[in-house]
Amino acid sequence: MLFLAATKEVTDMQIKLVSVLVQDQDKALDFYTRILGFVKKTEIPMGAHKWLTVVAKEDPDGAEVVLEPMAFEPARVYQKALYEAGIPITAFQVDHLQQEYERLQALGVSFSMPPTPMGAVTLTVLDDTCGNHLQLYQL
Amino acid sequence: MTYYQQEIERITREFYPEEAACRQVRQAKAFIDTHYADPIRLNDLAAQAHYSTYHFLRLFKFLYGTTPHQYLTRVRLKKAKDLLAEGFTTTQVCQAVGFESSSGFKALFRKDTGRTPQAYRMARAVASGRK
Repeated sequence: MLFLAATKEVTDMQIKLVSVLVQDQDKALDFYTRILGFVKKTEIPMGAHKWLTVVAKEDPDGAEVVLEPMAFEPARVYQKALYEAGIPITAFQVDHLQQEYERLQALGVSFSMPPTPMGAVTLTVLDDTCGNHLQLYQL
Repeated sequence: MTYYQQEIERITREFYPEEAACRQVRQAKAFIDTHYADPIRLNDLAAQAHYSTYHFLRLFKFLYGTTPHQYLTRVRLKKAKDLLAEGFTTTQVCQAVGFESSSGFKALFRKDTGRTPQAYRMARAVASGRK
């Protein structure tokens, strides 16, 4: 029974949120929806900032990306260091990487790494205009 | 070139087989993704990739962490779950996703989900408010 209880605790935990630190929430919402193609799920005002999330159009009940404000100073240092090294803050899966790369390029998105194969996956890295690099990958 | 891109290229160079080989394996995986309903044999996949069965198996496992057969089964089970949720019967689903024997399908399904296909279908129907 102890085993069952332990198993249950583990399976109760779900991954529903991924945080992305952004320099400007309104600008981020525009980029993540109009350019990347996500849709807004939640917008709850919280003083100077808001709880703001977007989801994939095809999977509105799936994981939400939290576009997080950077009121905490060390967050800026962290974001800047990642950005300068070209390290993506997170990654999104796509079915057709080359197609998506061309679509986003046509929309004026800038890429720091063109589609690059790495074993089983192909990767590309873009600039989200809000202080981050984002990686797209195709399995 | 960013530090990140340099690292990606270094890791690819140092740890992965040459790109042509990886591409063949990615193509085989894509073949499974689209042809899962057909009878797929390891020998055929290997031959398409121009590799010996053994070498192909090793490469596939290196890149995907699973054998082609296990991967095929996973794709079929995933598709089976989708179809059961849409209301298709166990027999229809078993055939549609390419399992050769109904008892084999039921056993694999049960091992994967802890439920029979029938029970899974009913649970999903209840959850979606459909009878």
